[in-house]
Amino acid sequence: MTKTGMIDFRGVNKWFGALNVLKDITLSVEPREVVVVCGPSGSGKSTLIRCINGLETIRDGDLVVDGQRLGDPATNMTRLRTEIGFVFQSFNLYPHKTALENVTLAPIHVRKIPRTEAEQAGRDLLAKVGLADKVDAYPAQLSGGQQQRVAIARCLGMRPKIMLFDEPTSALDPEMISEVLDVMVAVAEEGMTMMVVTHEMGFARKVAQRVVFMDAGAIVESGTPDEFFSNPKTDRSRAFLSKILRH
Amino acid sequence: MLENFSFRTIVEYLPLFGQGLVTTVWLSLVSFAGALAVGIVLSAMNLQRGWLFRVPAKAYIDTVRATPLLAQLYFLYFGLPRLGFVLPELVVGILALSLNSGAYVAEIIRAGILSIPRGQVEAGVASGMTYVQRMRLVILPQAFKVTIPPLLGQAIVLVKDSALLSLISVAELTRAGQLLASDRFMPAEGFITIAAFYLLLYYCLKGLAALSGRWIGLQPARSST
Repeated sequence: MTKTGMIDFRGVNKWFGALNVLKDITLSVEPREVVVVCGPSGSGKSTLIRCINGLETIRDGDLVVDGQRLGDPATNMTRLRTEIGFVFQSFNLYPHKTALENVTLAPIHVRKIPRTEAEQAGRDLLAKVGLADKVDAYPAQLSGGQQQRVAIARCLGMRPKIMLFDEPTSALDPEMISEVLDVMVAVAEEGMTMMVVTHEMGFARKVAQRVVFMDAGAIVESGTPDEFFSNPKTDRSRAFLSKILRH
Repeated sequence: MLENFSFRTIVEYLPLFGQGLVTTVWLSLVSFAGALAVGIVLSAMNLQRGWLFRVPAKAYIDTVRATPLLAQLYFLYFGLPRLGFVLPELVVGILALSLNSGAYVAEIIRAGILSIPRGQVEAGVASGMTYVQRMRLVILPQAFKVTIPPLLGQAIVLVKDSALLSLISVAELTRAGQLLASDRFMPAEGFITIAAFYLLLYYCLKGLAALSGRWIGLQPARSST
């Protein structure tokens, strides 16, 4: 009962005004585990993972990340965030910085890694996501898929313990989705602890140990990808799956 | 009609206009530097979440924008000495222009910072940057580019406003025109000449704005998201 995972939600609630956006969430993510979060729009999936790095704050319950309790005065949130990579739906690359500068900015200024070392690591990471030839390109010169791969490299440059993905492929043209998913699969296979909000069920089947289905702010169902896709237990998850898997 | 227009007198007074022009240029430069300093402080106060700094900043900006510059100038020039602060008129003039223009500059800077998409702040937060790091590395470099053209516009306004300092006998460009008008009773010559000089200053600043616009155009575009 008291075992602690890398990310531990215990009875977490959150309100936006009168709207109960997270309802009594209890969820534990083990180190090296990959958890996919899915559910209809407005179900609280993004809010759930945004709480983990404090982009949203919770009202009650406990949220413990990497052994540190959020909201505790002893927890240095800025420090904790360096251990958590966050990939946004809309990339949010720094438009005034090149791809390499995007990757090295936080390592140099936050992690205080020497510039030459950070740049070497940055080049290696951009090569790893297949963008060795784009190190000096600005975000506006890159396609959506390329921008999102830079954004993933930017997170990896901090050598995080956890990676969070908030609908990383939802803003992409269909032909660019697989290049981003391939990078995410590679990150997962290296043993990263990941929470991924996505409707890419192929990705979930391939690398996720668990699929969590949310609806109206609550976790309705949770299980292995095989269980969840072939034998959803609730009406709501069945209805959801029938909609996203129809085509 | 035009035979009454004396170019000779204008030429005769050119050294005076020259001095006035020089004074207008340097006091505008100093005042604009002051306005930037006032504007940066005010916008920083205005962007705080707590009311302690925000409310005084807003009150100041509203007061300055709601009252005429001439009234502000007269308050500083006639009012302050009665309260025990006697300052040379040039200092009063620069102070008035800096404090007045600073309120407008504050709003330009604030708008520039707020124009940076929320996602940029979040990207900085998520990578563990402090508020100061986010401002220095992410927000201000982007906001700077957005604010240059409106700041140059404000500089043009400031140069024209500096004409009011002639009313507290600062020997700037408009004062030179007034002197010609009253010494020789030649208001047409006096004020046409200063108009030509203001036009010259205007084109200089406009040229600078165009150059900065081209420089911004050469910079990497803002992302569409």
